[in-house]
Amino acid sequence: MITDQRHEQFMERIQRGEKIEATDWMPDEYRKLLLKLIHMHAVSEIMGAFPEKEWVPKAPTLKRKLAIMAKVQDEVGHGQLLLRVAEDLAAPLGKTREDLMEDLIEGRVKFHNVFHMESPTWADAGVIGWLVDGAAIINQAALLSTSYGPYARVLKRICAEESFHMQHGENIILALAGGSKEQRRMLQEAVNRWWESLIFFFGPVEVTDAARRMIDYRIRTKTNEELRQQFLKKYVPRIHSLGLTIPDPNLRYDEESEKWIFTEPDWKKFGEIVRYNQGPKSQERLKLRRFAHEDQRWVREAMVRSQKMQVV
Amino acid sequence: MERDHRVEYDVFEVFIQKTQADHHVHVGSVVAPSPDVALTTARENFLRREKAVNLWVVPKEAIVATSYDIPGWFAREMDRKYREVGGYSENARLWKMYREKAMKLEDIVRDLNRKPGYADGVNRR
Repeated sequence: MITDQRHEQFMERIQRGEKIEATDWMPDEYRKLLLKLIHMHAVSEIMGAFPEKEWVPKAPTLKRKLAIMAKVQDEVGHGQLLLRVAEDLAAPLGKTREDLMEDLIEGRVKFHNVFHMESPTWADAGVIGWLVDGAAIINQAALLSTSYGPYARVLKRICAEESFHMQHGENIILALAGGSKEQRRMLQEAVNRWWESLIFFFGPVEVTDAARRMIDYRIRTKTNEELRQQFLKKYVPRIHSLGLTIPDPNLRYDEESEKWIFTEPDWKKFGEIVRYNQGPKSQERLKLRRFAHEDQRWVREAMVRSQKMQVV
Repeated sequence: MERDHRVEYDVFEVFIQKTQADHHVHVGSVVAPSPDVALTTARENFLRREKAVNLWVVPKEAIVATSYDIPGWFAREMDRKYREVGGYSENARLWKMYREKAMKLEDIVRDLNRKPGYADGVNRR
């Protein structure tokens, strides 16, 4: 009875546009939906550093190397900010940051499909910044109005830094687009490689039950398809303006429905890639993440122990 | 037991002072095994671009806060316009009758850095 009343008051707060804080009472369902979303967001930021870090030693100039290093640092930094938000949500469920990281290594939490894929050329590094970060910014900007205060606050910082990533990626692809025949070919091939992943990135077209509940709670305010349409609206003309083609013969804007029509990605293939970590690079990158987590455990333990000894 | 393996860091709230003319402002939090490491982690997390002159890290337990559940704590029981600049907007209209303009703090600050004489916005007669 009391819970019902609390739930009702909680929903009223949400509908008034108030923000919920970590210490506030919240329905279990709200906590779990948020945790799932932010946990996945956090580990995706961390795994997002991997495809790009592969290009740090191979960047074509010193300036490019410094910029891509800064980006890798940002992604891991975003992971840290998001883990802080996630671990406060997880604490009442008896989970710590260590558990959240172990969930990643053990395959109990998914990370975005795009970070399971290969980035074989320098143009891929550019396309990741341009289109993958471009897609991610649309997602994250839509979350700025989320009902959960701590998430909204870190998203502000994250979005500001992501806008640097977007410029950085655009600068790389603009250089390639204005370059030699070989460079343009490389850029086109990268766009071809990433397109289907990008369409999948926004998630299923239909509004799932969980997505509907997230919208009810104002955790999110837009559907997957609304965000994908935003992406297509912004990026299709820009891709074409560079004289590049998009590997989808069915892609067109339908005046009547005021929507972009596209070929659906292979939902099953990508779904399995993220669920079972069986993309071309999933296991290799998770192995590196496991190494970072486990082989440096002794450092974390030593630091905690030395602090305790000082306090005594 | 698997649980014994878990290393738990403490939470530190982070406050950045951008210049010495500003107060420290809360920007978020970090986890760290010690205050020293918290300072370094805070710098890496929050100051990769922005400039600052000072950082505070404060153990989360040391923060004493109001509750969001008691909005009445911040209630304004009556109109407080009389405490605010905006509560005296009629001054501008009244000064107009004397062919003068209302004076603002920004005018005073700006004129302090100028040579003496007639201040801007003051009519010469």
